[in-house]
Amino acid sequence: MKTESCREWRESVGAYALGHLKGEELAKLEAHLEGCSACRAEAAALVSVASLLPHANPEHFGPAPVPPPELGRRIAATIEAERGAKRRQRRIRLGFGLSGAAAAAAAAVLAIFVLSGGESGGPEQHVSFRSLPSGVKIGAALKPQAYGTEIHMYVKGIRSGTLCQVYMRGPDGRDVSAGTFRYRWGGDAAAVLSAALDLSRAKALVVHAGSRTFVAPLDKGGTALRKQSQEEEPT
Amino acid sequence: MASGALTRERDVREAYAAHAAELYGFAVRSLADPGLAEEAVQETFLRAWRAGERFDPQIGSLRTWLFAILRNVVIDLGRARSARPSVADGGIEPSVEPFDEALLSWQIEEAMRRIGDDHRRVLVETYYRGRPYAEVAAELGVPEGTVKSRVYYGLRALRVVLEEMGYED
Repeated sequence: MKTESCREWRESVGAYALGHLKGEELAKLEAHLEGCSACRAEAAALVSVASLLPHANPEHFGPAPVPPPELGRRIAATIEAERGAKRRQRRIRLGFGLSGAAAAAAAAVLAIFVLSGGESGGPEQHVSFRSLPSGVKIGAALKPQAYGTEIHMYVKGIRSGTLCQVYMRGPDGRDVSAGTFRYRWGGDAAAVLSAALDLSRAKALVVHAGSRTFVAPLDKGGTALRKQSQEEEPT
Repeated sequence: MASGALTRERDVREAYAAHAAELYGFAVRSLADPGLAEEAVQETFLRAWRAGERFDPQIGSLRTWLFAILRNVVIDLGRARSARPSVADGGIEPSVEPFDEALLSWQIEEAMRRIGDDHRRVLVETYYRGRPYAEVAAELGVPEGTVKSRVYYGLRALRVVLEEMGYED
């Protein structure tokens, strides 16, 4: 059959798809569908749509709820704040405080690596704590500067929020403050500190983390690649 | 980073402008709680932003991706809610409709909203209310053939809208 006459049939195809055709009307349409592939395809498409109708609830056909205008602003503000925090984290890096379990572990062993040449100002010393409780990492990079020593502290796996105080021990045994920082969980940046003591004169790097104290003797020579040492006990 | 990734705040604003209404509408439908729905939409956009680099428009549409995130958020919220003791309804927890069923329902309801009033009206009267075509025709003051015709065009329109919305059967 051709499209001209199909126009009329098609009006019944909707009712047919919904299962509303009965008796003679249904029989007539089915006979037509038998011989008309175009109408058959149309019927199949509408039957498929009609099969979805039971999933909808007509009580929900009214206007959809609209998100309150402040929602968008709130999301934008949260993202802005989170992005700002990320940037600060990258710039500053954090501190630490030992968890109970971590603090229970005994001596921290430091390995000192002396790397040749940062940029200006001479060789940079990398200090990393070894034999720490699992999950805990503490390290520092020390760089000579005109004003004294630049210290980058790296800490991981320690109780969030713990106050850390960093000192450099001078040749006379006195500690020169390098500043403080707090480790923030999830933070992954270095705390950049500085002490008014020449690296070449410094005897040790001292970190008070919560109630613990770690002392890392520093190598003077600049040639020693690794020296292990350890110490530490509560102040 | 994939080009088109959702990494800038402007991307998030654009995504919000384009999809927040739908996400929120669905969240309200699914959670039956406007406050919780807001929370869900906010969390969805935050997660999308945090994972923005992982969005690849060549793999799927932003809308699909956001709905996938919302799905996880709604499931998380449903879990959190069912873990909370409920006093209001005498200790019987409202069941959280399975997400996929809720999404399907919502898509069809949204499609119904988008077709013409005349088409929606006859589908509601004849299909959902089961009223005879003649009665509906009399009420609307149109010939019965017109009601049938509207049913036909209404279903066609529904199909087109669902396709536009990305529904695939």
